[in-house]
Amino acid sequence: MPSVSHSLSADLRSLPRFALVSEALNKSYGRGKQRFEAVRDVSLKIAPGEVLAFLGPNGAGKTTTIKMIAGLIRPDAGKVEIAGKDPHRNPQALQGVGAVLEGNRNLYWRLTPLENLEYFGVLRQMPRKLAKSRGMDLLKTFGLVERRNVAVQKLSRGMQQKIAIAVALIHQPHLLLLDEPTLGLDVEAGETVKQLVRQVAESGCAILLTTHQLSVAESLSDRVAIIREGRIITEQPTQALIRQFSKDAGYYIEIEGRLDTSRREAIASLGATVGDSYISYYPEAAASDSDKRLASATLYKILSILDPLPIVEIRQERANLTDIFLQLVKQ
Amino acid sequence: MIDLFIGEFKRTWVQTLRYPSEVIGGVVILTAVFYGIFVGAQYMTGSSGGAFGDRLDAIVVGYVIWTLVVYIVNDIATNLQMEARTGTLEQVFLSPFGAPKVFLARAIASLTLRLLLILAVLAIIIAMTGSQIAFPPMLLLPLITLLLSAYGLAFFIGSFALVLKKVQQVLSMFQFVLFFLLATPTEDWTGPARLVANVLPILPSTGLLRDLMARNQSLDWDRWAIALLNGVIYFTIGTLLFRWAEGQAKRQGTLGSY
Repeated sequence: MPSVSHSLSADLRSLPRFALVSEALNKSYGRGKQRFEAVRDVSLKIAPGEVLAFLGPNGAGKTTTIKMIAGLIRPDAGKVEIAGKDPHRNPQALQGVGAVLEGNRNLYWRLTPLENLEYFGVLRQMPRKLAKSRGMDLLKTFGLVERRNVAVQKLSRGMQQKIAIAVALIHQPHLLLLDEPTLGLDVEAGETVKQLVRQVAESGCAILLTTHQLSVAESLSDRVAIIREGRIITEQPTQALIRQFSKDAGYYIEIEGRLDTSRREAIASLGATVGDSYISYYPEAAASDSDKRLASATLYKILSILDPLPIVEIRQERANLTDIFLQLVKQ
Repeated sequence: MIDLFIGEFKRTWVQTLRYPSEVIGGVVILTAVFYGIFVGAQYMTGSSGGAFGDRLDAIVVGYVIWTLVVYIVNDIATNLQMEARTGTLEQVFLSPFGAPKVFLARAIASLTLRLLLILAVLAIIIAMTGSQIAFPPMLLLPLITLLLSAYGLAFFIGSFALVLKKVQQVLSMFQFVLFFLLATPTEDWTGPARLVANVLPILPSTGLLRDLMARNQSLDWDRWAIALLNGVIYFTIGTLLFRWAEGQAKRQGTLGSY
């Protein structure tokens, strides 16, 4: 994968503090008893270069929110601003947004990658020549330059998805909306798309990402917002959320061979669970700094008892985004 | 806007010519249908060869206009439905140009392709039937008013496709309505029927085209003014309705549905 390329750079001139501001978005469908509130009071802000993972179960309101942000669904209430412009009032706001929408091909299959890039560049009000030259740059960055003249329908799913992302970036948007960008991709193609998303964010483009693959969200996102039944139930930096849910997490130590009886008894007396070749230690919930120091001291005591046995693995058992997500959406 | 038109032009041509069998199939079908009508008319009248005189030319002009109008009228609705199915429609609506401009550019771009196809069909028909249609430069004027009116109708039906989604049955039925209207020499109608013909879409222009191309008459400027008014009114109504339908589909959240 080539390094961060100029071709990915968002146009950051005169960009306000936030690439996206959406405030109190509401959307309902149907009437009377059939009325269904799809999105309720959803507010999101994304700064340039930031990746926000927007997570939620099926039917929670993710796609409706993304399409309201893109100007494709009109909200009943609330407002959207992309780089300071409202896409529902001013079509020029759409110059600041690129989107790869879930379940859509997003491309013309009879056209080649370069023809698609040129066409969509023009559709986003770029001069034709510039669209073509930027299209070539993007194909180089995405490692697809040799396939530039092959009809899109003849390319693999992974390549098609890369081209869809390239097309969404052709006009150097401030905001990239990615609805399930790794869905249906094999492991290698999924990893490539993840690297691309990182590069795009590094270039200064804000990214709103939805995915059911929570490991993808965990590795890519700076912040997480979780939506359930149309309402955002939590929104915070990804690592802070993981730390919050890892507060009571324990430590796991695995050694080579079997533990002798004296060590087992000594470690068990410190409150740890001891197996043949492993130790699990769950400190009491650390409410204060002194509790944390006590937990660390106990851990060091366990390690000194184990000394000099060879250690195979030692890790803190942190919560992952999947556990957190399941815990939150089931509440 | 010029770049948009060229972009649409290129997209339409590349997509069509990448599968030339579809183009050849189109020419064969259009010609075969006309030949069927021609042979049927010969059988009914008991005449053969070129015994129809300028009535044959009028039929040829009527048929060619019908194929052109049916194509234009269906174009926007068919494209909307197809692109909703293939998943490119929402990307098109993300254009800062706005949907009406994009779809108008698309329709004009695909018209150039269609006109070539129709000229090919026309050449074959003329060779088959010995028709002697005239092509005076003045025919461009009623052709423009015909296109305005037909695109108005196309946006009108496109609006239904945006809001109601399933319009295939309506489009099929509409072909026959158009066939009846365009094949009928409404320019000969008098009294209240004349008024109706002036108010209905496209008809004032078809009469003028038949006069110019089949009957070797000169352009009747009064009737052309009516045709122009007819075209401008239908085009304006069509585009306004399309804007409303876009807003409605966005309110319903059904823009990309099919």
